[in-house]
Amino acid sequence: MVLSFFRAGDSGLDHVVTRSVAMVNDARHSFDLACMALMSGADPQSVSDDVRETDLRINANEQQLRSELAVHISVHGPNDIGEVIGLILLLKKIERVGDHAKNILDLAESGVSFLDEPDIDELLEERRTVSGFFTEASEILAEHEGIPEGFRDRLGEMTSQIQSRIDAYMTSDQPGHQVVPRAVYHRYLKRIVANLNSAVLAATEPVRVIDPTE
Amino acid sequence: MSRDTTLPVVARPPGTANRQMPTGARAALVVGLIYLFLVGVSSLEAGIKIMGADTQERLFSAVSNPIAGLCVGILGTVLVQSSSASTSVIVGLVASGALGVEQAVPMVMGANIGTTVTNTLVSLGHVRQSAEFKRAFAAATVHDFFNVLAVSILLPIELIFKPISGIAKWVSELLVGSGGTEWKSPVKKWVKEPVGWLKDLWDQFGASGNVKGALMVATGLVVVLIALALVTRNMKALVAARIERSLNAILGKAGGLVALVVGMIVTIAVQSSSITTSILIPLSAAGVLTLRNAYPVTLGANVGTTITALLAALAASSPDSLTVALAHTTFNIIGILSLYALPFFREVPVIAATAMAEIAVRRRVLAVCYVVGMFIVAPLLGVAILR
Repeated sequence: MVLSFFRAGDSGLDHVVTRSVAMVNDARHSFDLACMALMSGADPQSVSDDVRETDLRINANEQQLRSELAVHISVHGPNDIGEVIGLILLLKKIERVGDHAKNILDLAESGVSFLDEPDIDELLEERRTVSGFFTEASEILAEHEGIPEGFRDRLGEMTSQIQSRIDAYMTSDQPGHQVVPRAVYHRYLKRIVANLNSAVLAATEPVRVIDPTE
Repeated sequence: MSRDTTLPVVARPPGTANRQMPTGARAALVVGLIYLFLVGVSSLEAGIKIMGADTQERLFSAVSNPIAGLCVGILGTVLVQSSSASTSVIVGLVASGALGVEQAVPMVMGANIGTTVTNTLVSLGHVRQSAEFKRAFAAATVHDFFNVLAVSILLPIELIFKPISGIAKWVSELLVGSGGTEWKSPVKKWVKEPVGWLKDLWDQFGASGNVKGALMVATGLVVVLIALALVTRNMKALVAARIERSLNAILGKAGGLVALVVGMIVTIAVQSSSITTSILIPLSAAGVLTLRNAYPVTLGANVGTTITALLAALAASSPDSLTVALAHTTFNIIGILSLYALPFFREVPVIAATAMAEIAVRRRVLAVCYVVGMFIVAPLLGVAILR
C-alpha cells in the first residue's frame, strides 16, 4: 500500500473507466445467466449464487469507485468535474443494470419459465441482441472514441419494440399467469436497455450542453 | 466502425492526464524553485548578519520566554499558512545567530500547531451541511488536538531535560561535526553567488547598514514564501496521480502505520503538510475517510513537513540551524512514539475532536470562535504578556 505512491499506474479516472468496463462485463454475465434460467430450463438455483455474487461485486465496485472519484476531486480540484459527474452517473447506471439482471433471476426463481412458450426463438433472439448491446457498451467505454453511429438508434428501436410488447400484454386477452411474467420480464429488459443507453451517454457526454441559440 | 460525430467526446483516452506543462519541464522548474528557496534562506541569514549584533540581541530577547516563542511560532505559521515556510525562516534566523536553539525549539513546536489552521479553515467550508461539517471539523481538529497535546507534554519536558534538542544536537554533530560555529555546507557554496548579487543590487540603490540588512531579510522572506508556494503547487501537479493512488490504497482500511507513512511520503513530495491534511477534509466530510483513517495521515504529514527545514538548513552556515531542523523532526517523531503508539493517548485527540465537532455542529459560531481564539487571540495574548 505504501509503495503505491512509487509505482506507475493508471491515473484515477482511467482506472475508474477500466473498472467500469469490467462492471459492464459482470452485468452482462449476470444477465446471460438469469435469462438462461428463465428461457433454457436451467435450474435457477444452479445460477443463483453466481448471479447474486456478481451483483454484490458490482455494488461493491460501484461504492469503491465512487469513493475513488471523491479522492480524485479532493486531490485534483474541480478541473475534471465533468468527467467525474459522468463517471458517477455511469457507475449508477451499471449498478442498476446489475440489479435488473438479478430481478430477472428472481422471476425465474419464482417459477416462471419461457422454455415451452411458442415464441421462445423470438425471445432468445431478443436476449441475444440485448446481450450484444452490453458488449458494444463495454467497447465504447474502453475505446474512448465516442458512440458508434447508429448505436443509440438501435437501442432506441429496441426500447420501442419492448414497449410495444408491454403495451400488447396490457391489453391482452390471455390469462394473467401468462402475460404478467412476460410484461414484468420485458419491463426489466426495457430498463436494462435504457440504462445501457444512459451509461454510454454519461461516459461520453456527462453534462448536456445547453445552447440557447439552438 | 464509423462514429457519431454529433456527440462530443468528453472522456479522455487513458494515459492522457490533464497537464499543461510537460513533466520533465515541471520537474526542472521544481529543481530551480528549490534552488531559489535556498537562495532566499541564505539571503535571510545574510540580511540579519548585516543588521548587526544589536538587532540580533533585540530579536533574541523578544522570544526569550519559551511560551512567547511558541506563540510566535503559531502566529508566524498562521500568517503564512505554512509550517514549512515558517520553520525555514526560523532555521535562517538560527543560522544568522539571531536565535539560539533554545529559543527556536518552542517556535518550531508553535509552527506545528499553527499549520493546523489551514485544514480547520477548510473544514469550515462544510458548515452548511450538519453531518458533513461534523465529520470535517472532527478530522481537522484531531490534528489540532494531537499537536497541542504533544506540545503540552513535550515542551515542559524539553525545557527541563532537553531531550529533543539533545537528540537533534547529537545527530547534527554526527552529520556535520562539532568543530566551531561554522560548517561548510556544500549547498551554501552554490547559493553564495546569487546572494552576492542581491547585496550588490541593494548597494546600487544606495542601501547600507540596517536598511540594507532589512531589505535583504525582506527579499529573502519574499523569495522563500514565493518559491515554496510554487514548489508546492508544481510538486502537487507532478505527483497528484501518485497521491491519489496512495489515498485510494488506504481508503476504508484500518489506519495505523501505513496511513502514517503515506501521509509522510505525500507531504515530503508536496513539501506542505497543509496540502496533505486539507485533501483529507472533503474526503472525511463525504464519509469516504473515517476519522481514524485520517488521523494517522495527519501525523505522517507532521513528520513529512520537517523535510523543508532540513533542506533550508543545508543552505545555512551554522550547525545550530541543522540542530533546529532536526529538533523539528525529532519532536514530531517522539510525539508520535509517545502519543500515538500508546493506545490510551492515541484515543485522546480522537475523543476530543469528536466532542468538539458535536459542540461545533450545535453552535456553529463556536467553531469560528475556536479558530480565531486558538490561532490568533491566544498566541497574540501570549506574545503580548510574556515577551
